Amino acid sequence: MILLPCAWCGPRDAAEFHHVGEAVPRPDPRTATPAQWRAYLYLRANPCGWTVETWYHRMGCRRYVTIERHTETNEIRTATVAGAAGPAEAAG
Amino acid sequence: MSAGGAARGGGPGPGAAPMRLSPQPGEVIDRSAELSFRWNGRPYPAYQGDTIISALAAAGERVFSRSLKYHRPRGLLTACFHDPGCMVQVGDEPNVRGAHRLVSDGMTVSSQNTWPSLRLDAKGVNRLAGRFLTAGFYYKTFMRPRALWPAYEAVLRRFVNAGSVSPDTAPGRQEKRYAHPDVLVTGGGPAGMAAAVAAARAGASVLLVEEEHRLGGHLRWGGEADLAALGELAARVAAEPGIEVLTNAVTLGRYDGNWIAVLDRGAGDAGAAAERLVKARAKTLVVAPGLIERPYVFSGNDLPGVMLSTAVRRLISLYAVKPGERAVVLTANADGDAAVADLKRAGVEVAAVQDARLGGDVIAAHGRNGVRAVELADGTKISCDLLVTAAGWTAPTALLNAAGNRPVYCPRAARFLPDMASLPGDVLVTGGIAGDGGLAELTQHAAATGAEAARRAGRIRRARWLAGPAGTPRTAAAGHGAEPPPIPVPDLPVDPHPELFAARSNEGMVDFSEDVSATDLLSAVAEGYDSVELAKRYTTATMGPLQGKLETVNAVAIVAAATGRSIAETGTTTWRPPYAPVTLGALAGQAHEPVRYSPMQPWHEAHGAVPLLAGAWIRPDGYGDPAAEARNVRERVGIIDVTPIGKLDLRGPDVPRLLNLLYVNKWSKLGIGRVRYGVMCAEDGVVLDDGVTGRLGEEHYLMSTTSSGAATIWEWAENWLQTEHPDWRVHVTPVTTAYASMNVAGPRSRSLIERVTEGVDLSNEAFPYMHVRTGRIAGVDDCVLWRIGFTGELSYELHVPAGFGLHVWQTLLERGADLGAAPFGVEAQRILRLEKGHLIVGQDTDGLTKAFSAGLDWAIKLDKEDFAGQPELAWQLAGGVGERLVGVQPVDGSVLPAEASQIIDGGRIAGRITSSRMSPALGRSICLALVDARLAEPGTSLTIRLPSGQQVRALVTPHLAHVDPDGGRMRV
Amino acid sequence: MQRSTNGHRPGRRRPGYPARYSAFALLRHGLTHQDWPPAWQPRPMKASYDVVVIGGGVHGLAAAYYLAANHGITDVAVLDKGYLGSGGSGRNTAILRSNYLTPEGVRFYDRSIKLYQRLAAELDFNVMFSQRGHLTLAHSDASLRTMRWRAEVNKIEGVSSEVIGPAEIKRLVPYLDVSAAARYPVLGALWHPPGGIIRHDAVVWGYARGAAALGVHLHQNTEVTGIDVAGGQVRGVRTSQGDIATRTVLNATAGWSTLISDMAGVALPIQTFPLQAAVTEPVRPFLGTVIVSGTLHVYVSQTDRGELVFGASVDPFTSYSMRGSLEFIEGLAGHVLELMPSLTKVRVLRQWAGLCDMTPDFSPVMGRTPVDGFLTDVGWGTYGFKAGPVSGEAMAECIATGRTPDIIAAFGLGRFADGTLVGEKGAAAVGH
Repeated sequence: MILLPCAWCGPRDAAEFHHVGEAVPRPDPRTATPAQWRAYLYLRANPCGWTVETWYHRMGCRRYVTIERHTETNEIRTATVAGAAGPAEAAG
Repeated sequence: MSAGGAARGGGPGPGAAPMRLSPQPGEVIDRSAELSFRWNGRPYPAYQGDTIISALAAAGERVFSRSLKYHRPRGLLTACFHDPGCMVQVGDEPNVRGAHRLVSDGMTVSSQNTWPSLRLDAKGVNRLAGRFLTAGFYYKTFMRPRALWPAYEAVLRRFVNAGSVSPDTAPGRQEKRYAHPDVLVTGGGPAGMAAAVAAARAGASVLLVEEEHRLGGHLRWGGEADLAALGELAARVAAEPGIEVLTNAVTLGRYDGNWIAVLDRGAGDAGAAAERLVKARAKTLVVAPGLIERPYVFSGNDLPGVMLSTAVRRLISLYAVKPGERAVVLTANADGDAAVADLKRAGVEVAAVQDARLGGDVIAAHGRNGVRAVELADGTKISCDLLVTAAGWTAPTALLNAAGNRPVYCPRAARFLPDMASLPGDVLVTGGIAGDGGLAELTQHAAATGAEAARRAGRIRRARWLAGPAGTPRTAAAGHGAEPPPIPVPDLPVDPHPELFAARSNEGMVDFSEDVSATDLLSAVAEGYDSVELAKRYTTATMGPLQGKLETVNAVAIVAAATGRSIAETGTTTWRPPYAPVTLGALAGQAHEPVRYSPMQPWHEAHGAVPLLAGAWIRPDGYGDPAAEARNVRERVGIIDVTPIGKLDLRGPDVPRLLNLLYVNKWSKLGIGRVRYGVMCAEDGVVLDDGVTGRLGEEHYLMSTTSSGAATIWEWAENWLQTEHPDWRVHVTPVTTAYASMNVAGPRSRSLIERVTEGVDLSNEAFPYMHVRTGRIAGVDDCVLWRIGFTGELSYELHVPAGFGLHVWQTLLERGADLGAAPFGVEAQRILRLEKGHLIVGQDTDGLTKAFSAGLDWAIKLDKEDFAGQPELAWQLAGGVGERLVGVQPVDGSVLPAEASQIIDGGRIAGRITSSRMSPALGRSICLALVDARLAEPGTSLTIRLPSGQQVRALVTPHLAHVDPDGGRMRV
Repeated sequence: MQRSTNGHRPGRRRPGYPARYSAFALLRHGLTHQDWPPAWQPRPMKASYDVVVIGGGVHGLAAAYYLAANHGITDVAVLDKGYLGSGGSGRNTAILRSNYLTPEGVRFYDRSIKLYQRLAAELDFNVMFSQRGHLTLAHSDASLRTMRWRAEVNKIEGVSSEVIGPAEIKRLVPYLDVSAAARYPVLGALWHPPGGIIRHDAVVWGYARGAAALGVHLHQNTEVTGIDVAGGQVRGVRTSQGDIATRTVLNATAGWSTLISDMAGVALPIQTFPLQAAVTEPVRPFLGTVIVSGTLHVYVSQTDRGELVFGASVDPFTSYSMRGSLEFIEGLAGHVLELMPSLTKVRVLRQWAGLCDMTPDFSPVMGRTPVDGFLTDVGWGTYGFKAGPVSGEAMAECIATGRTPDIIAAFGLGRFADGTLVGEKGAAAVGH
């Protein structure tokens, strides 16, 4: 499979990871309407192009990484520890 | 075996190999090693190094198979792996490539799909029907009457042209191998060898992969000069310790990130069982596969005796086999010219040479079971038994396609060329596929390519090993320090070549394996299937065992001509992996599906436990009588091995915040030593998992999950901690397999535990229900004791450091013998929990069951600050709960509805039975069911439809628990 | 007589084919060396159409066909950026079944099976539907329980399915290892006699030919580059071959559905994953049914040409790449040999991939959207081909009458905002 640059372990085969998916900001559950909450649950951008997503290094360091990947070529542009910077900042 | 004359092969009797020539320079056969094998029941001689087909050809055989649809006789065409007429069955192995597989002594070979014999094939009658059985004819008929379609199918299946699979084929899988070469060179001809040597000399580790049995490519049959050059190159390869050579190995595919699959076929005569997959993560890939010679399309081009120039040169030079007696040659290039010379050298009478560069052509080959005459454009017929064509070359661009490269058609050279300008940085190309030129030019290009491949590999290696500090943004291709400059690779010339695809008559075979002719393609185009993809799918051209290697370009040319477009405009079909066929056994390798078992499992097996496979775990389902085991728990004391239960050790000041977030209930005020049952939901409100969590210390908790949820919930917790709340101070350590867990349950469980435990006051006042303690059990320190009750009886769940699990288990049973202590299994536990109405997540709930539907109202605290699932649960409560989990008892207690029996109301499905067992305590059937909320009131009469169709009545019980609903038995 | 799905009985038109197909016609053409007329003619693209269907696969072509045949709406264009059937329709493993989990699912797919059964006669094109039976193996009691659930719902809805045990499974498939020694022993299976396989390209060609004969225009190699919406209403479509004015657009694409819907400003709950498949060399026929294993994530069938066709579940991460992976073919081979160890010497010939649009509840998104005139027939995940006919029929009715037929009422886009997802998670995952 493709190599993913784990922020802790270096480049590892994607088979070691669990693909969590597009990094979608979580709305405030106290104020979100059902439509907004379910948009968070179900709607995704699904681009044919660059996307920011989270992976979990299940068979390695067990850390989450935020990766910028091109969904057609599988090129990887950036990789950061998830949560350290928000996904939007990491991509910028 | 007789020594035989120098001019004749040895073997059983003279004349056994009439077409064998005197020794040839460069021949690969070892005449001192004589073998014998059987073909269709008759013995044939061979030499070590012969392929099945070369040995048969030496013996004068010409027909090796019959074609798919028309059952036309087929012979040698290319004399290499990719030869459509040379597929044979060897023993129980179907579809063997007879022109590549080496003969081994005693081998049994037979033709495929021929009856009663290869010579006299009854299905040959199809030939007469040919004009009616055009490509795609089956789309136009067999439609009515519909009931007869299965009968039509059965007839169609009888014509399947293939070997057979025996149900007794022994399973056996080869282990796979990994390789991490800096440079992988695919193709061991002169260019591949030169590239490998140059890369190795530049310091790279190299894996050189060659499809044939030896290195050398076309040099092997090129004549004295070529053989000398081959010797030199091979010596240079052998002298480099950094080159690993794999022969009889083929690169199957190149996947993203230069993840490359190579099939190592093992020894040349080895069968399918020797195939072995090599998986290589190469830093750079050098593609040097050479070119594949292309057949020419003309009437009769599939007759035995029509061969490509490389085929006759291989036969003569490698195997010392005379391809025929009298030949006509159609040549369009230097290799065709060289074939003429080779034929003459081998004593074949060359009756005519048609030079396509001067306008020469061949219109048809005539004959019934083999070529008898060749017809030229002016109508002249020349009698012969061999027609050799050198019509041009096809570039095998599969690996380049996979790397995203789109080859471009060059009309001047009459072939597709790689798009050199748009190759990805980690893929390079050299050799005949990249251009033309003499041997010196090609090896020079290859050497530069190899050196450049090594340089780029070095750069990639440095980039990958550069460790950036964790947590800082880094790009995947960073590099530091001075780098060696790129090595210039000279351009290769591209020589002109006549475009020779199909003769003017527009007849002849395009796909030999699928029996698709030029006429078929033209009909398809006329019917509207006018793109190369549609024409391919309609006629099945290129969809056979060769996957287009010999067929695609001719098909494209014919479709292009028929649609008035150029070949470049028409485009081509997509090469797909694997490049060569590979057995399922090689792809599968050794099975690595480990089974998890607890430290007590050997005891279970020794005591007759019936095994239950649950996920990756094996557990005891029971020990012979689950109902008796359940009764023993209710009346005395039973012990069950529950090691697979997920366990997470949680430490840190913020653990309560995590618990509040994950569970639907409240955790801020859980005292030390106390335990609470919790339910987890996903963000859509659907029940995810349940379990108990206990507080062992100020900042120390132990969480349990379901066994199937162990890994999921750990990941779930980490997801929240790492991505949403990285500021929380919580450490999670999975301890599922660090502890062996066992549940001691029953009225006498306290008595038993007292006998083996030290350091814990076990009285009900000191250690109440839903509390947790640590202490020493059976002499083992650091055990955790929980007072919880899945079974509904007084019970203690023990978590013992795993290494001592078996010891504690045995101690409990020994010390409890007089109390009636006995093991119970998963089935008994299921009965007990069902009597108590305890739900199983994933059985009594499904992928859409939200928490309010699962009888968990009491646990859900909507007034908490954020928890997973909260908004959806609030909306569920507001909008109406929909369905509910209820206890159900069939009116006739002897009826046991199967789980998943549907509940019917007014003709509609209104729910289903989720759990169902006979209750030993009550002596009747008991169930849990999910039903529409309006049917969930206690006392409601339900109709259950049994699988037999019979409908029975049942009543909703007042509680989920059928036995001891107040839970008094757990609290003593 | 075709009855529509909610009682509406429109006029019915049979295509007038330039040449009907039959054994007699084959004979006549063979004797006279006469060419067959084209199955469809290329037409010049008009500046406007009543209906534009984006996607020339089975769903789009079936919708166009039924618009014309059932509702007399013939001013229809079907656009495809490649050749007809170049998407999922040409890449699937051609398994048909109706043994779903929910009543609405069973009714829906059963209607499709019934349409498939008479499709060859209706379209005058042999689609080769071989109803040879479909087995879904269960390797755990949880799985067996789900099979029972499906069987019961099927039976109540009038669809033939039953749970059978290892001995019966072995009789149906002698090559299958049903012994307890297997790593994941087979405990039972859901046996579904109406299931089977079909020649997927033929379905596409049959519908194309039928639609074309009724006047529908088929435009291949025509890529949609934009959708014009004004005032919440579709006005037109922009393509690589020119612009088309229209008030009705049907998104019947797979893999590209969010790209197309984005053009109309409609957000979909879809993620695109590659789905891979592979085929072996032909071997003499030995497998007479379709076999699926959910636990082992693999399905197997054998064509009349003798090739074994394999499939598995979608790739583990989203992608628009159809390049395939080695892990897929390795894992697949391992699981096939778990089921049938004697196939160890059979050779894989080719692997390929298509794109699957996965929704949160393994059910499609069909019907109208907040943009007037923009409808979708998307979200088909790994189960789209078997639903081609019923989807085309229902979408044609939706477009023609302006009302959503009952048979697709559960699949509306609005269910996600409402939180009323369809319960098919158990059945659709593997097993197409």
